[in-house]
Amino acid sequence: MISFKTLHILNKPPEHSRFSLCLAAIGPEDGLLLTENGVLAVTQRLAIHRERCFALAPDLEARGLSAHLSSDQTVSFDGMVGLAASAQNVISW
Amino acid sequence: MSTLIIIDQPPYGSWDGREALDMAFSLAAFDQPVSLLFCGAGVNWLRKGQDAAKVQQKSIERNLSAAPIFGVEALLADSDACGRYGLAESDLLEHAIITDFGPELTNRFDHVAFAG
Amino acid sequence: MSSSLPEQTKTPAPAGVFTLVITGAPYSSQAPQTALQFAQAVLAAGKRIDRVFLYGDGVHLSSSLSTPPSDELNLSEAWASFLTENNIPGVACIASALRRGLVNEAEMQRYELTASNLRPPFEIAGLGEWVDSAASDSRVLYFHKGG
Repeated sequence: MISFKTLHILNKPPEHSRFSLCLAAIGPEDGLLLTENGVLAVTQRLAIHRERCFALAPDLEARGLSAHLSSDQTVSFDGMVGLAASAQNVISW
Repeated sequence: MSTLIIIDQPPYGSWDGREALDMAFSLAAFDQPVSLLFCGAGVNWLRKGQDAAKVQQKSIERNLSAAPIFGVEALLADSDACGRYGLAESDLLEHAIITDFGPELTNRFDHVAFAG
Repeated sequence: MSSSLPEQTKTPAPAGVFTLVITGAPYSSQAPQTALQFAQAVLAAGKRIDRVFLYGDGVHLSSSLSTPPSDELNLSEAWASFLTENNIPGVACIASALRRGLVNEAEMQRYELTASNLRPPFEIAGLGEWVDSAASDSRVLYFHKGG
């Protein structure tokens, strides 16, 4: 699994003020994990490389968005644990 | 272990900011390095001249002014947000420092957390 | 950047121990559900959870009086079972809890209240419990309301 300097876990929809705050804090060695309402962002273009951007599968499925993201970018809760454990730091936005 | 507590909620209209301050003061009380960063509408916590008596709340201005005495290392204010809310350095509480928000800032801390 | 800013002191090792902080309330945010599924996955991965700390609106999860309709998951009950079965301490922040009307027997007596409503195994304690985790090598993860 890829290891990030900081893993940013974002559970806010794109209109939320903390959404843009989170994007502004993402450094070049960081990863982004979209959860809960954060997964709504997969319908939009994000200024982050696809290899560094993930979304939580159950939240995508719940919102009918599974087809919007390739399988290598979707993670289960097991995958979320792996990402959160291997990153040097985690910020929950 | 250094911690940055971020406050992005404006004062008095929600309790999140107060509970974030409690977190920062608790860390400081246990001699853990902690700084506060005010972002977005949260920069309004730092405006001089607050009087919350008529909204029946405690003014946080005195608490914040005493933050360095309690052991909080820095009161940081996001420069973009200060610009949006018309806050120059002279409008801010003593000890507040205007700074740029981004990974260079958050990377300086081991923990970055919100209260809610 | 001001030179008075503190420098990062050290980098934590890959986490084997997690602390979960839940600040989003049940039935008004997804936070308690996401946190529970995450917690189950942590244990399934052979890692440990040293404590679950409820803060702010998250303390509502520790209510023994929460009674959702029978076809909805009872989140307080589900969390209490998970904590008991896995012997994980569940701590509600005392300041957050008392403000929001979550009290145990000791606080009921101290403040001469008419009832207590804290669901075992949740306990009430101060922010020092959270500081203890934050100051350790534990990986602290926050579950806030989504919005």
